[in-house]
Amino acid sequence: MTENKDDYLTRSFQYFQKIIKESGPAASASYTLIGGVLIMGLLGYFMDDWLGTKPWLLLTGLFLGLFTGFYELAKTVWRK
Amino acid sequence: MSATAEQDHTAGTSVLDQVGDNIIHHVSNSSLDHPLIHLPHFFGIDLSVTKHVLMLWVVAILLACAVIIPIRRYMQKEKAIPSGWMNALELIVKFFRDSIIKPNIGSKYSETWAPLILTLFFFILFANGIGLLPFFDILGAVNRFAFHIPASDNHNFINNLLHGSVTATGNFNVTAGLAVITFFAIIIAGTRAHGFIHHWKNLVPTGLPWPVYIILIPIEIIGMFVRPFALTMRLAANMTGGHIAVLAILSFMAIFAEMFNSTAIGLSLALFSIPMAIAISGLEIIVVLVQAYVFTLLSAVFIGMAINVHH
Repeated sequence: MTENKDDYLTRSFQYFQKIIKESGPAASASYTLIGGVLIMGLLGYFMDDWLGTKPWLLLTGLFLGLFTGFYELAKTVWRK
Repeated sequence: MSATAEQDHTAGTSVLDQVGDNIIHHVSNSSLDHPLIHLPHFFGIDLSVTKHVLMLWVVAILLACAVIIPIRRYMQKEKAIPSGWMNALELIVKFFRDSIIKPNIGSKYSETWAPLILTLFFFILFANGIGLLPFFDILGAVNRFAFHIPASDNHNFINNLLHGSVTATGNFNVTAGLAVITFFAIIIAGTRAHGFIHHWKNLVPTGLPWPVYIILIPIEIIGMFVRPFALTMRLAANMTGGHIAVLAILSFMAIFAEMFNSTAIGLSLALFSIPMAIAISGLEIIVVLVQAYVFTLLSAVFIGMAINVHH
């Protein structure tokens, strides 16, 4: 798509592409942050129900999820 | 409308009680109580075809007609100049190869993973986009007004088609299925590039003191599952969200008309509701494109992370 750079449509498309490319990892990290807490929290909650260890596995799960989320966030931030 | 909502309607309860049910009914899958095609139970799972399964089939057929067949036909031809629709397809494929697959996966494995990435993109794009077309509603209107079949007729096939949403990617199960493909693709990509054992070793950076690994290894394993989970949530939530917004804004007309007990106020609210709904529908067109793009971009990034390991 580099043959006619002056074309307005091509340029705006390339700009759009650039923005999406740069915002992709950020969008991914934000969802991983929530996803980690949610998936580990749910896992802990159901494990608690199953094993009868009421709040402890839920708390551990939430904590681990939070930690994972922040770790993934840090990885995207410091990737370059 | 679900059975309870219909009863409420006949009983004459307030609009506000029905709006929520109505919106949920429009964005969720049709229920298994009256499936489109009855199929037997298999290991205790009801395999009957619901609206979203039907939509997946429709998308698959559309994809075959719009993408696979034209490309096959073009490949068989002698002349190498694409024209019309094939030209557009080539532009998309070229764009994906040059600006997503090659930078993220690398030129060595780009030919291996390009088919998967492109298939994911086209499938998600078509499944997202089909949710914006109200063809079942038009079919329902023809059914109601041209053939005079009442809405209460549960044995009419077109009436059954009106239950549930059209956007199959708005269903968490569908997007979870797509994310599972990505999940295994990441493992296979890493295994092919580095060997089975080395792929798992690559998950954590090397050369750290051993207490760090006690924390890092569980976190990386959780992260492995969280990434596809985030893909699942993002696509399904984005596809459902826009539809809910449009329906909620359109419901304002009914709600306000009842609140002030006047049809005129309800109709005058159309001056606000309809432009807003149109604007959000326009935004949805962008969301449909961007979400299909983001899903494939992130799949490519994750596959690339498994192949090009640098710590």
